[in-house]
Amino acid sequence: MTIQDLVREATYLEIPLSADECLKCNVCNTVCPVSRVTDRFPGPKYVGPQAQRFRLATILPPQSDASPRDASPDHTVDYCSGCGMCTIACPADVKIAEINNRARAEIQAGRRPRLRDWLLGQTDLVGRLGVPVAPLANWTLRNPVIRWLIELVMGIHRKAPLPVYARSTLRNQLRRSAAAVVDGRTASDTDPSPDRAVVLFHGCAANYYEPHVALAAIDVLRRNGFETIVPEQVCCGLPLMNNGLYAHARRRAATNIPVLAAYARRGYRIVGTSTSCTHTLKAEYREMLDIDDADATAVAQATWDICEFLVDLHEQGRLDTGFGGLDETLPYHAPCQLKGHGIGLPAMDLFGLIPGLRAIDMDHDCCGVAGTYGLKKEKYNIAMAVGDPLFRRIREADTARAACDSETCRWQIEAATSTPTRHPIEIIAAAYATGDHDRTNQPAEANAAT
Amino acid sequence: MRAAEAVDVLIIGGGATGAGLVRDFARRGLRCLLVDKGDLGSGTSGRHHGLLHSGGRYVAKDPLAARECIDENLVLRRIAPACVEDTGGYFVVTPDDPDEYADGFEAACRASGVPCEEVAVAALLRREPALNPHIRRAFRVPDGALEPWQLIDATVSDARARGSDIRPYQRAVAMKVTAGGRIVSVDLADERSGSMTRVAPRFVVSAAGAWAGRVAALAGARLAMAPGKGTMLIFNQRMTDSVINRCHRPGDGDIMVPVHEVAILGTTEITVDDPDVYGIDRNEVEALMVEGTKLFPDLPRMRLLRAYAGVRPLYRDDEGATAGDDGREISRAHLIIDHEARDGVGNFVSIVGGKITTHRLMAEQTADVVCQKLGETARCTTADEVLPNQGDGRTYWLGHRLAEHEDDGGGDAELICECEMLTRDRLERFLDARWPCSLDDVRRGTRLGMGPCQGAFCTFRAAAVVAERAGGAEPLPAADVDRVLLDFLDERFRGTRPIAWGRQLQELWITAGIYGGILGAESLAPEAVRGDG
Amino acid sequence: MATADVVVVGAGLSGLTAAIALAHDGARVEVVARGNATTHWMPGGFDCGSFPGAASPSAAVEILEARAGHPYALLAPDLERGLAFLRGVLKTEGLVYSGDLDGPLRAVPTAIGGTRRVGIVPDAQAAAMEPWAARERLVVCGIAGFKDFSAGPMVASLRRASVWGGDGLTARPARIEAVEVELPDQKGRRNINALELGRGFDDPAWRRDAFERISRAVESTGRGPGRIGLPAVLGIAEHAAVLDDARRFLPLPPFEVPLVPPSLPGVRLYGALRAALLRRGGRLSIGEPVVRIETDGTRATAVVLSAAVRERRVRAGAIVLATGGIAGGGLIGRSDGRLEEPLLGLPVDAPPGDDWLADEAFPVEGHPLELAGIRTDAELRPVDSGGRSVFENVRVVGAMLAGHRAIRERSGDGVAIASGWRAAQSLRLGRAESERERPSRRGRRPAAATPVARP
Repeated sequence: MTIQDLVREATYLEIPLSADECLKCNVCNTVCPVSRVTDRFPGPKYVGPQAQRFRLATILPPQSDASPRDASPDHTVDYCSGCGMCTIACPADVKIAEINNRARAEIQAGRRPRLRDWLLGQTDLVGRLGVPVAPLANWTLRNPVIRWLIELVMGIHRKAPLPVYARSTLRNQLRRSAAAVVDGRTASDTDPSPDRAVVLFHGCAANYYEPHVALAAIDVLRRNGFETIVPEQVCCGLPLMNNGLYAHARRRAATNIPVLAAYARRGYRIVGTSTSCTHTLKAEYREMLDIDDADATAVAQATWDICEFLVDLHEQGRLDTGFGGLDETLPYHAPCQLKGHGIGLPAMDLFGLIPGLRAIDMDHDCCGVAGTYGLKKEKYNIAMAVGDPLFRRIREADTARAACDSETCRWQIEAATSTPTRHPIEIIAAAYATGDHDRTNQPAEANAAT
Repeated sequence: MRAAEAVDVLIIGGGATGAGLVRDFARRGLRCLLVDKGDLGSGTSGRHHGLLHSGGRYVAKDPLAARECIDENLVLRRIAPACVEDTGGYFVVTPDDPDEYADGFEAACRASGVPCEEVAVAALLRREPALNPHIRRAFRVPDGALEPWQLIDATVSDARARGSDIRPYQRAVAMKVTAGGRIVSVDLADERSGSMTRVAPRFVVSAAGAWAGRVAALAGARLAMAPGKGTMLIFNQRMTDSVINRCHRPGDGDIMVPVHEVAILGTTEITVDDPDVYGIDRNEVEALMVEGTKLFPDLPRMRLLRAYAGVRPLYRDDEGATAGDDGREISRAHLIIDHEARDGVGNFVSIVGGKITTHRLMAEQTADVVCQKLGETARCTTADEVLPNQGDGRTYWLGHRLAEHEDDGGGDAELICECEMLTRDRLERFLDARWPCSLDDVRRGTRLGMGPCQGAFCTFRAAAVVAERAGGAEPLPAADVDRVLLDFLDERFRGTRPIAWGRQLQELWITAGIYGGILGAESLAPEAVRGDG
Repeated sequence: MATADVVVVGAGLSGLTAAIALAHDGARVEVVARGNATTHWMPGGFDCGSFPGAASPSAAVEILEARAGHPYALLAPDLERGLAFLRGVLKTEGLVYSGDLDGPLRAVPTAIGGTRRVGIVPDAQAAAMEPWAARERLVVCGIAGFKDFSAGPMVASLRRASVWGGDGLTARPARIEAVEVELPDQKGRRNINALELGRGFDDPAWRRDAFERISRAVESTGRGPGRIGLPAVLGIAEHAAVLDDARRFLPLPPFEVPLVPPSLPGVRLYGALRAALLRRGGRLSIGEPVVRIETDGTRATAVVLSAAVRERRVRAGAIVLATGGIAGGGLIGRSDGRLEEPLLGLPVDAPPGDDWLADEAFPVEGHPLELAGIRTDAELRPVDSGGRSVFENVRVVGAMLAGHRAIRERSGDGVAIASGWRAAQSLRLGRAESERERPSRRGRRPAAATPVARP
């Protein structure tokens, strides 16, 4: 046997082993938004592949009384926001942000999770509790005194951009309106076939805070010939992973994957309006939780960001391009999570199809919030500094609205700029609506145009 | 030359055994001088596999050696905990290994006093997921990793505190032996300055290891050594946190040892003529890789950082039994050679063979022989007391450098060698204690340049610190700084050359870009380094 | 599926030169790269050729082009045109270069107190190239706490005539002094590196304070004409303004001395190249490794990129392979002694495995492997050992090209620019024939409105 014969794939080692590739070239440091604004964070090279060499593979119990307690040696890696710019820029394929995430989780391992971090991870719980009392909840979370108290007790910054509860969850609205097929547990033969339907992974944001985003997506999908199946689902688990609560995240994955896999195996595509959720399904279950069985792989392979899905339709010539004109300038921010998908900027591609729309890529790396990072008291200022150039650009653009695919980014941008920020699918839906309106009012020319 | 310095014992050879000897004698009240032609630990001790043997490797063929190993293993954990990483070890049975060996293994361990217990393969694979999943059986033993330079440094510190003198870079070049068979003086040449010193010892002990033959020749004694080269491969990452051994009759490439932040696969056995002259060729590397892959199937994907070799101090016995190409048949247990009867030199003893795990015992036994001949009655106490500089008494923790730096606030400002988290402060303290020295000496004491970049980013920074710190009142001449820089880059290159492919080849090219493209190294020492023309 | 007239693989100097030239001409260009690499590791100048005895880059190029197999043998005329084009493009993005192919090669100081002989440098480094007048002194200004630039040892080394070459081409400063300055807000900082300092200089108030401190330190060494050598940290995004302020507020003309990676001059160059590409409607995707290039006989047809899941295919009319040679990861050494080009499996001209490297780190004649690379025809199409073109619509550029010792000859940048330009011209002429067949531009992504020099 030669050396070459003996190579095989091993995903369980993929992330830590990728630290092996580091050339120490410092390119990652040139793109890190956090080390750019704070001295507390030494940069991705230091906390990633460099420090990785000093971490034991697993936190093991000491082998003898003389062994040191094998606690995590880290502190500064906690300031990594997980934006992933480093992984993108690295010429040696080191999965830096993923290494950092694992190291952050190790700091937590063996300790009781901080209440705040646990709470920030429990998006389903927080959502379920808040929606029934939405007006009160929203008032409470906007009350400065209460926010000051929350900051004091829990460490969530008093100005952190928290979302607004919807009056009714997406799922309830769908059940009432029967706009989409809200399914039970598994795929069934009565579902519409995969070439006429997609599965929606709506995520916590669309369910509890922004049902209108998902509803816009469902409308756009229907218009393009796709019914929407909304199966049982729970939080994707990303907020739990980002706060080091891997065991909790695994439970979410264990709930979601079988349900979604049943659809994926039948050929359904899984579409999402949250770039964070879809990235979790695509990559993070495998990279962060080491879940790479056949089901998880089927789910990952079937997952699409909504704009990615529409662009794919367009490339097949199947997208309804009956957009009306939108005469506006639209600043667009590509979330760091979207960049991690490696699919380019599909929203900008779609915007290019809308007559009159002047979509401008703000060309900034990260808005700063990075999921739950920027909500934390000790990180809020860092997050705001990271996003500052973006906020300035949007304020200077002085437009009626802006666009961004990630919910947490939208809330951050709105709070910082006062510019209403919409998911691209809402812009698409608006363009369709304008087109319909135009066609209704001027049937002859409009029909000729479509 | 000045008048000869009188000492009780002159110890030639500053590896682990020589260090153990000077400590042992010093604790018995003797005044000693320890010399080495290079830096302490720059010979075989500094090129060992990194393994603190449990003895499991020897239980089948050399039970005495196995017992010595386990006894000393426990002693070193007690007296030098900061130099020992308690990795634990496993002997694993791969599909290529015979059942018979495994069947007798546990019993053989017990017979030699080596703690051994069979463990469930599934449990071991969970702990060490990079291992070959087709392993059939696994046995746990108390192997560990042993850091040689900290060990030697701490050992000689004890001796120094008791009045002994430690001088690296002194090569023994001549001995005056009387007609009555006594060494009355030994001439030492300073390898750096060329100046000569004369020492008048009551006794001479050679712990020169693979070089023992040369030292013996100075006294007119004959000592045929069969230096056994062993090549090791350093992997950039610890794919295992435990020592992993093949459970079979000892052979090449059958041990993987986690050592600090790397993992070292070894080793081979090839007799060489000259312990200073040997290379590492592709075949050796390939052969090691093939064996190592049987333990870790993903090994070919993992980044090779460096290749190095050490020479075992194997002794060819009087009957002329040769080592041949498989020197493994020679006992690795040590041998004290009393040159009185053998060669007619009454105050000269050589200690050969052995391994770093048993260095303290080797020193004890040798010191007993010497003291008896000298009429000194003090007994050995080296196992009784913890060495200096062992910190809080806990064993080595991989994370300690990172943790210490992080506890201090972290950050890159103070890190001269970022790969190894070496701070400016630590480097300056080393230079203050040890200058004049090369960056390779610095490397042994601080781990400078031992990470993935192999000196690309830290060499010039370290050279600048040397330039600022080492000169003292006068700034260090620029030409000296040049040599410090270029010599270290060259030394780092030599270990990369045998494995120059993949990422490490890329790293080498980046290094050339830095020193050639950006820093203009070719302009520094024009006679040594010249651009194209 | 996405389509591009030309897909350029690799976002280094050669790839971006080709891409900008193509986009400038109206081609639909997509640049894909695994990450950022060689630009960020280089001192930011355009080294076209330099060795002792050559008075100018052109003189060096002339010597090199006469060597059989050297890329300049095919490309020397493209160097001048490519360089002129690139300098014009970069000037628009605010990055000005000094020096000429026919201008002198001069020894300029390096951060370790050596010298390197350069001819074309970014404006910030230009003052180092002026001949030294008799009374001129050099003040090297270090920054307290900054480990990548030690003024004292640097000056001690520079005071030796031997490091300046002694070949009569360059005088050296008669007097060299070292000073060290503590810059604002540095005390107590845990992280001090070129990026931090560069960002500091980007802030106008901070840099005023900094220049004041530097001025005081320089003036403490006395009066009289001279220049100031500073580490290359004079801003990133605002470099032009920083340089302006430096010249205005410092008592002597300053020049930057390049540092180890991350090299700010290299980062600025990349930023300007990127902006120039986007300004011309090109697309640039960093972080998307090419997993394979699809081919059909002698044509490459599509580039397949790895995404989080699935692959992204971009149909390509032509491909420019600018993957950076060994340092850039485009040529990979294997343990069995092969040097591999992994994307197209191109034949690689390399010595046998055992002969790659000399025995010492800095051999006088260089390592044999330095000459390895891809052989091409005059149009930069890869050829096999028989000289036959392997793919008709592929162009190989930059460090991928066989026959040159980029570091030793200081020819890497020149080969990159000349080959990038040549590739663009070659593909442009080829494209002119198929202009008619180009599909509709609808759905093409609008460019970012304000190109930014990214850090």
